[in-house]
This record gives sequence, structure tokens and C-alpha cells, in this order.
Amino acid sequence: MHSVLQRGNAILAYALSVLACLTFACFISTVFLDYRTNASMNTVKVVVKNVPDYSASREKNDLGFLTFDLQTNLTHLFNWNVKQLFLYLTAEYESANNKLNQVVLWDKIILRGENAVLDFKNINTKYYFWDDGNGLKANKNITLTLSWNIIPNAGLLPNIFAHGSHSFKFPEEYTTSRM
Amino acid sequence: MNFVQSIPTHMDFEGQATAEKLSRIIITLFGAVGLVWGYIIQQFSQTVYILGAGFVLAALLTIPPWPMYRRKPLNWQPARDGTEGSSSGSKKGKKK
Repeated sequence: MHSVLQRGNAILAYALSVLACLTFACFISTVFLDYRTNASMNTVKVVVKNVPDYSASREKNDLGFLTFDLQTNLTHLFNWNVKQLFLYLTAEYESANNKLNQVVLWDKIILRGENAVLDFKNINTKYYFWDDGNGLKANKNITLTLSWNIIPNAGLLPNIFAHGSHSFKFPEEYTTSRM
Repeated sequence: MNFVQSIPTHMDFEGQATAEKLSRIIITLFGAVGLVWGYIIQQFSQTVYILGAGFVLAALLTIPPWPMYRRKPLNWQPARDGTEGSSSGSKKGKKK
């Protein structure tokens, strides 16, 4: 004969199994969704300096400064398996030292329920745009792209790349004045 | 003390089966309804809460040995007293 404790154990185990099944159903219902969407960005002010990188080698490296615009609407990305989005803006370019450089310039967390219609004008980057040499000055092709991680309740942590990018060039001369 | 011991804590065999079946039906039903509702309003937390409510309800209904699980007690044979024993094994046991 089952005792009270045995019955309680059986019910709890069964309820947790059902919870696992429901979580899996939630995961399956969203895993095939296409989370890509359009984003438009534009650079406003672009300068490059040649200053010592005290955080690394102390040699003089190229440091880019830029302000940018960003417009996108991510409201429709949120569903019952999205807790938050982690947006980040990446600059990609080729330099003499490296075939591919990727620098994250800016990021933002959007929790579900927060305003996901982004319209930023002329905002500064959050992180320094260091090159590991002199690859920024007169670089003709720097591409900005917006990407995001989806933080789910259950399942994968996908890395989504927005449709749309912006390419710009750095000036031919270093800026020496303080900004 | 006698009163405490007189509280029945058992279920009969059929009561056990009924209790288990009932608990599974309740939890499954609440889980299914929670999944549909959570999908409609796109809030997985609601699904979990509804399943939790099903768990509490099932626990209240099937963990305590309610009288409805004791309707078909087993008909035990009446106990034999030692003098009348028939099988040799039990006789020996008694004599020792």
C-alpha cells in the first residue's frame, strides 16, 4: 500500500515531467521562427586619432570616434519564449594586420515589455574603437552591422543578424584637436 | 492517543488506483489548458502557474486518504486462534 509520502512523491514527479514537456513544447513552437528584421543605421561624425593605447601595448594605435543613427522596430520579435534581446553594433573591416577585424561599438539590452521601437539620432558609441595598428586611417570600407542575441525561456541562444548595414570610410588625416 | 490511532490513514487497493488515475488526469488536464492559454496570451509563466494550480489541486484531492478511497475494503479471513491450527508449519511455530 502506498503511503501519503509515496503518493506525494509520485504526484510531484509527474507534475515536473509534465512541466518539462510543456517547456519543450514552448521551445518547439518558437525554434523555427525567423527572427531577422530590418535595421537602418548611418554614421554622422567620423574621426580617427593616433594615440597611445595604455590598456595594451602603450604603442600609438588608431582610435576611431564616431556617432551614429539607428532605426529599427523589434517589437514583433518578442514572444512567449523571448525574455530579452541583447543588441550589439559591430564594425567589420579589413586592415593590413588582419584579414577580418570585428569591433563591438555599442550594445543595448531590451527586456520584454520595454519599448522596442528604436530611433536613435547621433549617439556615441559605448566602447572604444581601437585598431591594433594603423588600420583605421583612410580605411575605405568599414561596415556597421546590428546583431542580437535572443535570451529565451527554454532552448537555443541564437545570434541573429539584422538585414541592412552601413559602410563608411575613415578620414585621410588624424584629428589632433581635443573633441 | 486512542483517538489519534483511530484516524484511518490507509486507502484500499481500488482507492490507490483511483487516486493515481485522478491525479494524473488533473495534472495533465491543467498542463494542457495552461499550454493553450499561455500560447494564446504568449506568456509561458501563466502556463507554469496553471500547472502549479493543477498540482496543488491533485495533491489536495489524492494525497490525503479521503473516505472515497476506502469504499472497497479487503475481506480478510477471520483470524484463527492457536488451538485450532491446521497446518503443521504454524503448529510448530506456535509451540516454540
